[in-house]
Amino acid sequence: MKMKFFISRVDWEKFLEQILKTYRIYAPQEVAGDLAYQVLAPENVNKTIYGTYRAVQPLKTFFSLPQEKVTEITPQPDKTIILGVKNCDLKALSVMDKIFLEGEFVDPFYGMRRDKTLIIASDCYQPKDTCFCALLDNNPFPEGGFDINLSPVDNGFLLEVGSSKGEGFIAPLREDLKEATSDLIEKREKKRKEAKEKVVEINREFKTQKSFPSLVKEEYASPEWEEAAKTCVECGACTNICPSCYCFLLVDTKDVGKFPKVKFWDSCQYTGFARVAAGINPRAKLYERLRNRYLCKYEYRPENFGIVACTGCGRCVEACQGKIDKREVIKKLEERSGET
Amino acid sequence: MVENPYLPLEARVEKIIDETPNIKTFVLKVGRKIKFETGQFVQLTIPGIGEAPFTPSSSPSQTEKIELTVMKAGLLTGKLHETKEGGIVGIRGPYGRGYPFQDFYNKEILILGGGVGMAPLRSLLLTLLENVDKFKRIVLCYGARTPEDIVYKYAFPEWQKKRKLEILRSVDKATPEWNETEGLVTVLLDKMEMDLRNSVAVVCGPPIMMKFGTLKLIDLGYRPENIYLSMEKNMSCGLGKCGHCALGKYYVCKDGPVFRYDLIKDVADIWL
Repeated sequence: MKMKFFISRVDWEKFLEQILKTYRIYAPQEVAGDLAYQVLAPENVNKTIYGTYRAVQPLKTFFSLPQEKVTEITPQPDKTIILGVKNCDLKALSVMDKIFLEGEFVDPFYGMRRDKTLIIASDCYQPKDTCFCALLDNNPFPEGGFDINLSPVDNGFLLEVGSSKGEGFIAPLREDLKEATSDLIEKREKKRKEAKEKVVEINREFKTQKSFPSLVKEEYASPEWEEAAKTCVECGACTNICPSCYCFLLVDTKDVGKFPKVKFWDSCQYTGFARVAAGINPRAKLYERLRNRYLCKYEYRPENFGIVACTGCGRCVEACQGKIDKREVIKKLEERSGET
Repeated sequence: MVENPYLPLEARVEKIIDETPNIKTFVLKVGRKIKFETGQFVQLTIPGIGEAPFTPSSSPSQTEKIELTVMKAGLLTGKLHETKEGGIVGIRGPYGRGYPFQDFYNKEILILGGGVGMAPLRSLLLTLLENVDKFKRIVLCYGARTPEDIVYKYAFPEWQKKRKLEILRSVDKATPEWNETEGLVTVLLDKMEMDLRNSVAVVCGPPIMMKFGTLKLIDLGYRPENIYLSMEKNMSCGLGKCGHCALGKYYVCKDGPVFRYDLIKDVADIWL
């Protein structure tokens, strides 16, 4: 049983102000009609929006930088807090962790930032019209992978501790924390249930009989892939904005230092991504690359890690220049099942 | 201090051997001893130009120097071919899974190689020869485009004298002096009688040869679990992270480059 407390919003914000000197804190705030992570300062602590959908930036940007020199170990990063992280991003981060922290080699750059960062999640009560976590059996509220979770209730939060790191973090707060009453917990459960129903409602037209992973696997030969790829312009927006897309490319530069190499985010949607010497390309066609992204999320990573790597955050739906909606593509895979 | 897996070690080009008009062997002395298993690969960096994976062609028992046999195929290999003795390159690794030759003990081993694909197979062959008593029989079938394109020409006379080793060679296009087989390397397989109940086959070569070589082995009665393939994919990090060398759910750099055929045969388009 995780420890659950209540803290008023006023007390919480007072606490944040006190720790601004110790931590660099990023929190979701309204920017140009959307939510984006902003660096907290005394003047904007109270502008943070906790209980709605995920921020524009995928969580990975804090740990795997879009571009980084990797042949020199960089100075230790600041102690950082990411505030208001949603469940879709937490699940995606678990995929990133598997890639960068597990296996024979650990990525020291990713590991260093991950170690220095505290994740304070929060419930999502107000999904966006592109959110589809419920279609993947995910919930719009955190169930794990956080240090602290904040569920907005009454004029404060139901605060849940998720790790020993989180426990240490709230130690100075103990005086302000009250043990959460069952009434409060019940209130939260109701909000959570309503939130999930909202996601289900938003996605009514995209609901499929079979699960997304089984459709992607079974409909490998569907003509829908070619159809879907017709408006793809290979911009790579979907992979860049995806919280679980981790692929990168090492590039040797003419920079100073020994064997200087820079690591850039890469995209399996680009023509040359898989091309080998002498020009042979296993995914020469655009639709093959588009399909690969789905296979990666719904078939390959689940086979590796037992985690469906698409968590339904919906960012790729918003970012796509060709208006490709993943939910629609998979729905059509089902509708066109049997066609060749 | 954390080990930085992206940072190469400095290596000096000690010697360059011209193998064919477009293939050279580079003998490298690395700053620190590199202990690899036969069939594993290393990442070679040319400073400011790029990095690419190569499987050493030398035996792992030779720890002072490693040898890479490289065909000129693009920018990086082109630059490498221009490198002179004494030049400095970078080496990371070794990475991946090599040939599980301990699993071949007491068996007949058929090695099927094409072109520069002989490079990793030479490392394997040398390893097998060092432990020759442990194996029943070694058969090497090697094909090249023309006699001139055969790598390690100087090594074959010595290999031909080895106990338990039989060698068959073919060229796609013979010259008047060529007195061995003419034709694709797969025709050599018809000339060999292997004990299929107790034999493994190891294949490395250009993609087209890998495909038809493997299919021919299956035709001959080899079971997929007794065929070992060296898969070639685009690689960047070599660490199982960057995603470039994906082969279905596998990453060639960490799950390969050597794969048992039964594990990958159902992956779509493996031959591309």
